[in-house]
Amino acid sequence: MGYAISDQGDAAPLAVKILIAGGFGVGKTTLVGAVSEVAPLRTEEYLTHASVGVDDLEGVSGKSTTTVALDFGRITISSELVLYLFGTPGQERFWFMWNDLVNGAMGAVVLVDTRRLDVSFASIDFFESRGIPFVVGVNCFHGVRDRTQEEIRRALDLDPQVPLVLCDARDRTAGRDVLLALIDHLMAARSRSAPHPVA
Amino acid sequence: MKHWTEGFDDDDADESLVRPYTITGGRTAPERDDLTLITLVTTMSEVSSDTGHGLRRMQPEHRTILTLCARPLAVAEVASALNLPVSVTKILIGDLIEAGQMRSRPPLAFAQAGGFPSMTILEAVRDGLRNL
Repeated sequence: MGYAISDQGDAAPLAVKILIAGGFGVGKTTLVGAVSEVAPLRTEEYLTHASVGVDDLEGVSGKSTTTVALDFGRITISSELVLYLFGTPGQERFWFMWNDLVNGAMGAVVLVDTRRLDVSFASIDFFESRGIPFVVGVNCFHGVRDRTQEEIRRALDLDPQVPLVLCDARDRTAGRDVLLALIDHLMAARSRSAPHPVA
Repeated sequence: MKHWTEGFDDDDADESLVRPYTITGGRTAPERDDLTLITLVTTMSEVSSDTGHGLRRMQPEHRTILTLCARPLAVAEVASALNLPVSVTKILIGDLIEAGQMRSRPPLAFAQAGGFPSMTILEAVRDGLRNL
């Protein structure tokens, strides 16, 4: 099935997106900026969520609203296809409920910083539980490679099928290669799930 | 005597003085729920940005959107350009679609079903990234 077939001469291209996740300060916006064709754009959203620790006995709505901000970038693949990269907001407990952000993502890159692996645990858990394919990008700040890939995999309790890529989030080529690793991962997963191509 | 601005947080300094939902006439939810962050919206070519035909309350933001979207933009890009929250932007774009001044192209809806994008799309993205 061709994706390029427009309905009724629709001039707009098709949009796809990839999420760039990971804990606070792991280089999400840096990676988005390194590969995006425009400087990272910022947008915000009001998220309504159940308040924790608020009694709801009186029928009073136990909901509150939080503003979360995210940075995103754009890569025009062709006149018919545009790729958006969304760096997920820092406050994980909020964006995990942002269905519009998560729905329709092709997959995700979870960035980790070897000095603070724990800040990216929640993102890995989230994509695993939602069944969203992802790769792990180890952001080697200033060329620091103080742990082997095996050690990082073990510390993250990573499924052997999940690719792990070393990168420098500031570098365009390295950032691109992390995205390519995700696309390869998606192609492999697709081949496994659909061994008989459908015409 | 204290100046009236004393005690204001610096955090508020770059916030608009117009509360976002004032622009939407108090509406907090879009009438249509099919707009997503990456739905691409385009101004209909026959619409000029200075006409408010079909809109009950044309706000300056509506006109800005029509001008911005002379070429297709994602809802998130429009929100970013307007410096408004995504949900407010969706309401305004919804108005313009209702009024026949814009059209939208939804993204692929593969992820909800736990599926994967087609090989055609994956190959196109891969080739595009390689040329980066």
